[in-house]
Amino acid sequence: MADLTTKYLGLSLRNPIVIGSSGLTDNVEKLVELEKNGAAAVVLKSLFEEQILLEADHKMKQAEKNDLIYSDYSETFDYIDTHIKEKELNNYIELIKEAKKQIDIPVIASINAVTTSEWTGFAKQIEDAGADALELNIFVMPFSFNKDCNENEDTYYSVLRKVKEAVNIPVAVKISPYFANLGKVITKLEENGADAIVMFNKFSSPDIDINKQKLIHADVLSKPSDIFNSLRWISLSANRVKVDLAASTGIHDGEAVIKQLLAGATVTQVVSTIFSNGPQKVNEMLNFMHDWMDEKGHNYVDQFRGNLSSSASDNPETFERVQFMKYYSEIG
Amino acid sequence: MENIAEYLKAERSQEWRNEIRKTMKTKLRLEKVRVEMSEEDPNIRNTNNIEVNTGLSVEEAVLEAQRCIDCPTPTCMTGCPVGINIPKFIKKIEKEDFLGAAAVLKDTNGLPAVCGRVCPQEKQCEAQCFYTIKLNKPPVAIGHLERFAADYEQNSGQIAIPDVAESNKIKLGIVGSGPAGLAAAGDLAKFGYDVTVFEALHEIGGVLKYGIPEFRLPNDVVDVEIESLKQMGVKFRTNFIVGKTASFEDLKKDGYQAFFVGSGAGLPRFMNIPGENFNGIFSSNEYLTRVNLMNAADPEYDTPVHSGDYVAVIGGGNTAMDSVRTAKRLGAKRSMIIYRRSEAEMPARVEEVKHAKEEGIEFMNLHNPLEYYANDNGMVKSMKVQKMELGEPDSSGRRRPIPIEGSEFILEVDTVVVSVGVSPNPIVPAALPKLEITDWGTIVVDKDTMQSTTIPEIFAGGDIVRGGATVILAMGDGRKAAAGMHKYIQEKIKAN
Repeated sequence: MADLTTKYLGLSLRNPIVIGSSGLTDNVEKLVELEKNGAAAVVLKSLFEEQILLEADHKMKQAEKNDLIYSDYSETFDYIDTHIKEKELNNYIELIKEAKKQIDIPVIASINAVTTSEWTGFAKQIEDAGADALELNIFVMPFSFNKDCNENEDTYYSVLRKVKEAVNIPVAVKISPYFANLGKVITKLEENGADAIVMFNKFSSPDIDINKQKLIHADVLSKPSDIFNSLRWISLSANRVKVDLAASTGIHDGEAVIKQLLAGATVTQVVSTIFSNGPQKVNEMLNFMHDWMDEKGHNYVDQFRGNLSSSASDNPETFERVQFMKYYSEIG
Repeated sequence: MENIAEYLKAERSQEWRNEIRKTMKTKLRLEKVRVEMSEEDPNIRNTNNIEVNTGLSVEEAVLEAQRCIDCPTPTCMTGCPVGINIPKFIKKIEKEDFLGAAAVLKDTNGLPAVCGRVCPQEKQCEAQCFYTIKLNKPPVAIGHLERFAADYEQNSGQIAIPDVAESNKIKLGIVGSGPAGLAAAGDLAKFGYDVTVFEALHEIGGVLKYGIPEFRLPNDVVDVEIESLKQMGVKFRTNFIVGKTASFEDLKKDGYQAFFVGSGAGLPRFMNIPGENFNGIFSSNEYLTRVNLMNAADPEYDTPVHSGDYVAVIGGGNTAMDSVRTAKRLGAKRSMIIYRRSEAEMPARVEEVKHAKEEGIEFMNLHNPLEYYANDNGMVKSMKVQKMELGEPDSSGRRRPIPIEGSEFILEVDTVVVSVGVSPNPIVPAALPKLEITDWGTIVVDKDTMQSTTIPEIFAGGDIVRGGATVILAMGDGRKAAAGMHKYIQEKIKAN
């Protein structure tokens, strides 16, 4: 049987399928189930600063509705967001500790860092709680009439540097594709200490309901066709940077995992397909991988990883071409 | 409400009130300037524990009382959580019937000398005064007058002990001797119950003693009120933690038929930032309790407090002001408030902020701590502070503090007092698993009777219900609960 073991962030994984940060990884029972079904590692649900602020606002409103709770001029309510954050952080630390007790696969914590200062301290606590690695989910909205690209990018480097100063565990950075020059950004993240780059973040997208004429949220789950964006950039980056590359978004079956590995991904992160099909989908994907590797005569993953990356490919222009000219010229 | 309006109208129509109003034209009253209470010299008082406000003289009190125009609809009363008949007690002062004024206060407020000192009148009664809302002038100094009448009575040696009904020998327990518990105990004693107050600490008075420093509320003032309760037959048991020393079941077996829980919000909250566990970093509860109750300022005592030369107090509420001013009095070279919003958003009383500034307290507003650093002995030696700016208002209406990236700097400190709020005392909820509590850990009660929604013999009020309130709100709860308990017991007797 083929050997699927993989090294990611310096951690030994039994295969290249990692469960991405999501509602799938917010409690220990779910983690145990994922481990049973073959997941190689889990990235815990991200702690979002914005969510904490929303929760604080909600608590404040609840307190005001309660005739007896005293919220005016109260020191406690003056710092309600701090207290909510403390509670959320404590819950998160407990989740890490409990996960480390109950599962053997690596546990990767995840924080959504909007600002640099307050989260670096928390990164240390995550390390102390026993997390095997940390995934930094950084997103600065790349739309501003005042800031230029460099300012946005500097935030990424600055958050990463501060977190790296605070912890010794490996740090992955999950990024969006929205950069003027992704290659340079990845290189600079590597220079600033990133141990892995996760490509890419899946954002909720706005949609419009034309009947009600209002904004709505588009479907949050990815589709199999969403794989092509990360496939391109993984392939372009593989073997050209030293950091590990985790492919994310649109990986729905064993075939998609193999595609990403051929493009050069170190690991793949899956979420939507597990939401749709349950944890047993991991097993199914692993079986597919085994069969495919046996069929192709691959004994271990590194035998084929990156074989179709841009740097190794006979046709690198396929990954670099963004226009449809050739495709259309070949039709008819 | 109609009944209250009728009652107030009848009171206002009494002969003596009509007479006193006639002694001066309203126009003249309105022209008078608010009498300011004199204060001890800031540079002297910040080295000792003497009370900052010196109180009004008889002449000053009468002069200030003359400013009150005795409105037909006294809006000031709408701002008082216990509904003190404010114009009546002020007119008694103008009439120079000072003991009568104190008696009016005591009709609805068992601790007027305390409330006159620590109530946030500028946000309550004085905020609703005719001068404030219609004339945009300084309000009648209701708080100062309340203190004057109460102090006058205390100093007169003619302290009126309220009448107490004949003993019905029914035992009731009060958990906690803070303002809520004392108010409940007083009213229940008046109804004739056999009341015992259980206090966890060695001193009676709860937050009035351990929390509020002597320079703001002398312990003697509290002791006089406690003495009155003792004379009314209220018993006190100190060093007694209900739920630990004895369970509620033990006490019930001992004959207690119902309980009022006023165990307060003594569980300190921290910020959960790195280094917060280093030595030299206190909660304001611990710091103030050690100094106020355990003589910790005296190095000869066996429980001294570490109070260094460079003291940072985190927070902008009254407890933060009490802590930072205490540090100054203990000899700190720098006593600093570190508050993440601006002065306009501070929850502390304006007067406390003013006093603190006069005493040389440094205000580092729009600053927030990020991390603490210690020396080799684990003692805090410095802290990383970040500058903040204000963003959009949050749901509290206060503008949200937003960190300014790259503005961090190191501040030398050797003592830090964290004063960012408290949680309700968890002992009673832990001892009574059936007790309904909120997400905040407060006890859920009926707001009219203060009776627990799940355990009928339990009533509660003050910070354990409100999460952190004012003395007067706690007292209001205690009184409401006493009425609720009386009704509960009487109905139980009838049913049997």
